[in-house]
Amino acid sequence: MTSFYRNQGYEEDPDYPDFPNSRANLGSQNSPSYSYSRKNVDNRKSQDNAKHSNTHNYPDYPNDMNSPDYSGDQDYPDNLRFRNHQEYPGSYPNMNFSRSQNTPDYLHPRDSSHHSRSRRNPDSLDFPVTPDHSGAKDYGNFRESPDYHVGSNASSSNPKNYPDRLNSLGISDYRGVGSRNNPDFLRTRNNQSYPESLGISDYQGAEDNLVSPDNGGSAYYQGSQNNHGYSFAENPEMDRGFSPRLRNRALQRDPSFHHPHDRTSGSPGRRNQDYPESFQMTTRQPMSPYIQHPGPDPDGGYRNRAYEDESRLDGAYGNQYLGREDTGETVNYVGGKRNWFDEDLTLLYAAEKTKQEERLVVSLINLTSRDANKIIREQPLTMQEKRKIKENVNLEKQRSIRFSVQLNCCTKCLSTIFLHFRRFRGTVSEFFQSMQVWQRTLKIIGGKFGTSVLSYFSFLTWLLKFNILSFIVNFSFITIPQLMESKPNNLSFNSLELLTGAGYFQQTVLYYGFYTNSTIMRKGISSSYNMQLAYIFTIGLYLVICFFCLLYSMACSFRNNFINPHIYSRGTAKVVFSWDFTITNEKAVKLKQRNLTTEIKETLSEIRHENVIAPLKQRMNHLGIHLGAWIVSTGVAIACCVAVYYLSFYNLKFLTDHKNQTATLLLPFIVCCINLFVPLFYSSFGLVEKFEIPRHQVFVIITRNIFLKISIIGILCYYWLNAVAISKKECWETLVGQDIYRLLMMNFVFTLFDSFCGEFLRRIIGTKLIKSLGVPEFDIARNVLELIYTQTLLWIGIFFSPLLPFIHMITLFIMFHIKKISLMMNCQPPSKAWRASQMMTLFIFLLFFPSFTGVLCVLAITVWRLKPSDNCGPFQGLPSIIHAIYGWIEILSSKPGYLWVVWIYRNLIGSVHFFFILTVIVLIITYLYWQIIEGRKIMIKLLHEQIINEGKDKVFLVEKLLKVQEAQKKPSPFSLSLERREVERESGTSLDRVAADVPERSRYFQRQNLELMEENYLNNDTREEISEEPSQALNLAMLARQQAEMET
Amino acid sequence: MGSSTSQLSKELLSEYQELTFLTKQEILLAHKTFIELLPPESQNVVDSLTAQVSRVPTEKVLTLPELKANPFKDRICRVFSTAPEKDSLSFEDFLDLLSVFSDAATPDIKSHYAFRIFDFDDDGTLNKEDLKQLVNRLTGTEEDTQLSPSEMNQLIQNILEESDIDRDGTINLSEFQHVISRSPDFTSSFKIVL
Repeated sequence: MTSFYRNQGYEEDPDYPDFPNSRANLGSQNSPSYSYSRKNVDNRKSQDNAKHSNTHNYPDYPNDMNSPDYSGDQDYPDNLRFRNHQEYPGSYPNMNFSRSQNTPDYLHPRDSSHHSRSRRNPDSLDFPVTPDHSGAKDYGNFRESPDYHVGSNASSSNPKNYPDRLNSLGISDYRGVGSRNNPDFLRTRNNQSYPESLGISDYQGAEDNLVSPDNGGSAYYQGSQNNHGYSFAENPEMDRGFSPRLRNRALQRDPSFHHPHDRTSGSPGRRNQDYPESFQMTTRQPMSPYIQHPGPDPDGGYRNRAYEDESRLDGAYGNQYLGREDTGETVNYVGGKRNWFDEDLTLLYAAEKTKQEERLVVSLINLTSRDANKIIREQPLTMQEKRKIKENVNLEKQRSIRFSVQLNCCTKCLSTIFLHFRRFRGTVSEFFQSMQVWQRTLKIIGGKFGTSVLSYFSFLTWLLKFNILSFIVNFSFITIPQLMESKPNNLSFNSLELLTGAGYFQQTVLYYGFYTNSTIMRKGISSSYNMQLAYIFTIGLYLVICFFCLLYSMACSFRNNFINPHIYSRGTAKVVFSWDFTITNEKAVKLKQRNLTTEIKETLSEIRHENVIAPLKQRMNHLGIHLGAWIVSTGVAIACCVAVYYLSFYNLKFLTDHKNQTATLLLPFIVCCINLFVPLFYSSFGLVEKFEIPRHQVFVIITRNIFLKISIIGILCYYWLNAVAISKKECWETLVGQDIYRLLMMNFVFTLFDSFCGEFLRRIIGTKLIKSLGVPEFDIARNVLELIYTQTLLWIGIFFSPLLPFIHMITLFIMFHIKKISLMMNCQPPSKAWRASQMMTLFIFLLFFPSFTGVLCVLAITVWRLKPSDNCGPFQGLPSIIHAIYGWIEILSSKPGYLWVVWIYRNLIGSVHFFFILTVIVLIITYLYWQIIEGRKIMIKLLHEQIINEGKDKVFLVEKLLKVQEAQKKPSPFSLSLERREVERESGTSLDRVAADVPERSRYFQRQNLELMEENYLNNDTREEISEEPSQALNLAMLARQQAEMET
Repeated sequence: MGSSTSQLSKELLSEYQELTFLTKQEILLAHKTFIELLPPESQNVVDSLTAQVSRVPTEKVLTLPELKANPFKDRICRVFSTAPEKDSLSFEDFLDLLSVFSDAATPDIKSHYAFRIFDFDDDGTLNKEDLKQLVNRLTGTEEDTQLSPSEMNQLIQNILEESDIDRDGTINLSEFQHVISRSPDFTSSFKIVL
């Protein structure tokens, strides 16, 4: 029975204008079996003849069945009555209806205004939102006062009053859709019609009644909610996501409808505040009076539950949206009396705010205080509002805790631990923040040069922190134990050794060769410390940490910076919307403005010339130049590599002949010269090589430079692993370590030289000699590549010289300050918009891919293939370094307590099968994700198209509304703009919600047919004699929807 | 001033920390800066916190070195002011401002306020006039940097083409946020640090 009833309720929908939205979205479109369109037609056709009986709609009510004319009720349902039926079947005589129905007079107006009326009805559905849902009382009242029924029926038999009243109902809806500069009309309407239609004596009762029957309303909603069960299959989330919002919107309109009415009854303030709050309760909150007073509505609980999720998800968006809606709404009755408007606006605004806040509060109650704080913090509200929300949340929480079960001991303990942990973490992070010595410097740089140059410096500080970490790891696990064991160093020290790293340093903890292979034992402490294992595990652990750090930063960076790059066209919007707020220097602002102008102009001219395809000859010319540049650059890189190769092998012989320390600096010097001058040579290609898109130029330069640097490092590694390691020299690892140390130091010196002389000279030349060159720009790409290069060297060197991070730390620290000074003195901000975030992503990727993976390969060869030197270092005497691990496993397998380690080693780490299976699983997951992404891409494309369609509909509706408004006597621009916003809000509210909104709405909007609409517009015009302009607009809009629905 | 001015109570500090994206140091610094903006007679802790007593007029806030050169400085103050005339900032408004412009603020809230800053007529959408004003502020007021009317029109057309997804002639908040979400530099550049 009930289910059938619900179905019926659902079918009724089309008549309810506010609903159509929700209904349509709720899936009527999706369900082919849905048959309301038929009913619609029915309605229209058969309105005139009283035959039209919807009795089948009310199978639940035998009474109704008996009175065939009851059908009329369906149209102006006074949904009150209709609803009351549902709740109290037979509680009052249906005869009344039949009586009114039978009155021939009555039928007449019904014909003419059927459309408008049927469409308006839903407003009464909106009433359900009762502030004082003291249902029982009101209902009792209703039931017990036959007077009222008589009165109302009497009035309904009056052909003139009835439509009036219906109109007054309809107006609120009309307003919702559009023109709302008609408050006078509204008020007078209500004044006139209400008392008449409802009977003066029962006026109060009638009002209650009007307001209270929310059970019916909710059941109705419920019905539709239940109903779309059958359409859900298609896209349940969308349906559900959308419907509550619409519901809210529909409900939202209520107060404005009631307002004028209240005015006349002389209670403006109270209502204003009561209403919004109460809806909010009924619509969104599971803990609303609804549940507390379930009243006669058995389904209320379910409904609320159904919406609970959405309301929570809705979050900020809903708030914002509702907040705006209400301004639009209030203006409706700005009419003759402006003072009312102001007062009302503020009142309503305040009411709205409380409403939003309460909604938020409810959604936050169930979260932990930390999450709640986070959400509150993310609200676009002022501090006061946020504070209020927080207080409310706390209050509510306390209340709920009072009723909840006492926390058990374990949870309490845990929560205290968490609390302490959080406090501790706070203190630690504060400590670190106070340690941030560069904060000030970074701010100054950002203020003067913008985010792009800032990104270089933040990369530098990131590397610095990274090296501090590795220094701490290496120092504590390798160096400290070694220092306990070490013998005094008796070598003399001279200052040149600082640069060469030889001599005195050879016998320090700086190099591999100094470390012992013995097991360190302390007197009095039974445990021992195996240096071999410590060395290999520390380095291994460090590399693993590096790997995950890099992977994590890279993933974060990719996620943030490569969102839908394929949709992008040109990025003028990006240029315009992302002003760099960090720039605080007046001069820099001026410069930035000038650069922006240039960039905008360039982009525009590019767009203008886009369609002009360059002549073939010119294109060939360009292609030739590019090809030439690539050949030259690759040739130069190869030549450099060959030079380094021969030099290094020659160097090996040379060093055995000459014992002079300075000679060791030859190789690093040459390498650094190549690294400094060849990139300069590459960048000079820019003079002849022209790129259409400036970004390409940056990419090409980076590619060439990285190719050069990585291949030089590759050659050097080959030299170390294939020449030095096999040369049977004493302690070849230390030699390699020294080589890397020298390279790093030399590179550092060159950077200083470059900053001081290069940039300084360039500025002198630019400002004094050749004015056209101007002040140099800071070359971010080159400088960052330099950092990547040194970091790569450091990673290779870390095995041969564990304290290298310490050296690098110092050089980076000095470099930071030198670079800063040079930048401040010599450079100007980059003129081109530098996509800093994307570039950083690229750099981190470069750091990961050729650099770190390359290092891993080199170290893997060292550990597995090479024979460590016989007389020095922790691994002396072993056939290869990895044998230290094998030996350890052997020892462990004889100890029963450590068998699990052995098992793990044999079955997981040392097993090919395990890695094979792992790889297969990872590949499968990757493939699945790839497919999901493909699917999403298609989805995004579809949604995008649908938004466009929806926008078209919006424009169309706005145009229509404007037309109607022009036809009115006094078109007020104020209300027009508000309307614009309203419509804006209604249809384009949120892209976030695209997934929820668009498919449904646009699907039927799309099918709107202009001609049909016009036709209906005319029909309506002629038929609806008593209806006035505003309701025409409403009808128009509604008809558009209906048409669309009918077509489906 | 130093020690005497930065004495916010512990509870208040932790509350501010919870409600904003700022750290303790930043809040203290903000308070110090704010007090320096106040007239000398109300430069004490109690007064500085009561919104009714001490509001710093916008002109004074704009003298801060962080805002002085910003082409959107007046809009920023207007958006964050809770005063009825939108012409002054209380300490909490000031904290809100810094919170939104801080490093830790989410891109969502940043873009929300950016939208309000760029919405010069406060009507809830960016229409052509707003965009025009925005571009004018970006390019500066000097003769040589101004765009010609035809360039301006073309630029606005391009912007709308790229951002106005539903093709209704204006950019609404969600469209704006959509564009911003594809411009990762926005978060790092929408930043003001004291």
